[in-house]
Amino acid sequence: MDKPKKVSFTLVAVIVGFMIAIQFQTIKKPVERDTRDIWQLREDLLKEKELQSGLLKEIRSNEEKLSAYESKRKQSKEAVLRETLNELKAEAGLTDITGPGIILKVEPVYEDIKLGEPVTATVSPDLLKRLQNELNMYGAKQVSIDGQRVINSTVIRDINKETKIDGHAIKDLPIEIHVVTDSLKNAEKLYNHMQVSKSAEEFFIDNMRLTVSEPKPSVTVPAYENPIRVLNMETAGGEKGGNT
Amino acid sequence: MWLPIMGMIVGIFLGLLTDIRIPEEYSNYLSIAVLAAFDTLFGGIRAHLQNIYDEKVFVSGFFFNILLAASLAFLGVHLGVDLYLAAVFAFGVRLFQNIAVIRRILLTKWSTNQQKAEKK
Repeated sequence: MDKPKKVSFTLVAVIVGFMIAIQFQTIKKPVERDTRDIWQLREDLLKEKELQSGLLKEIRSNEEKLSAYESKRKQSKEAVLRETLNELKAEAGLTDITGPGIILKVEPVYEDIKLGEPVTATVSPDLLKRLQNELNMYGAKQVSIDGQRVINSTVIRDINKETKIDGHAIKDLPIEIHVVTDSLKNAEKLYNHMQVSKSAEEFFIDNMRLTVSEPKPSVTVPAYENPIRVLNMETAGGEKGGNT
Repeated sequence: MWLPIMGMIVGIFLGLLTDIRIPEEYSNYLSIAVLAAFDTLFGGIRAHLQNIYDEKVFVSGFFFNILLAASLAFLGVHLGVDLYLAAVFAFGVRLFQNIAVIRRILLTKWSTNQQKAEKK
């Protein structure tokens, strides 16, 4: 085979190969076109709609299940117990409480302060107890003295000539007493009572002045910080004490 | 002999790589053109083996056959007669004849070669 023959043969072969490849591709992967008529389209639409309704049904059943679980959970003993526990915690004073109330301030009588002499006025436990009782009598619900929450088992006593509330010493005046009541109305009542109360005079005898703030819509009483130790309490038996 | 085969492989690769796709209604023309090209190719090989090969005849025949086949198919489409079948028939018959001739020539060559080898 001489050279021009080879070249022309090769060229022809290349062209033939090219055409074969193109034809092959065209036959193998024709461009897909949508050739469905209206009835086929309707059929396909129907299929999709069925799928959609099936999915919707599934979603609904899942939501029903979810709500059933939710209501079950709400009705369960655990939830009730949890709720009770939270209520009891709030009642025992283990949570911060914010509500309407008043703020009392105990400060030394400035007229009595003499230059060069230390201010000796201290709040005696008896005075504090009396004030506490008075507050409770007139509708106080939660009380904190100098940032220390007063709960049922709180002791106010004199230890080594220091007034202590559950181990928290009251040394420096002035101190603030936060009182939270049920409602703003009760706070107002309490405020009016405190205005004319005797304990203010008792404080004045001890060289201190008790000032009562206007009722405020939001006073915060901090939570009780120390652990509550229950020593002499027992759960009442259902037969014995619970039924009476 | 190997160069044309290599050329065909190269052409196939080129065609596959370029990802060219012609519209479906024209694929008839291309298939006819492919058939015509094959016919010319095998005709050329036969002529070469019979020692009557002519460069001009081969190259002009290649393009002319392709054009003729395509235009015949075109005419057929416009006349409503499947004229491309005529081209398919003609080229198919010629393809078979050419291949048959090539086979016979190769066979006789092979047998004469063997006889020569035996004589030696």
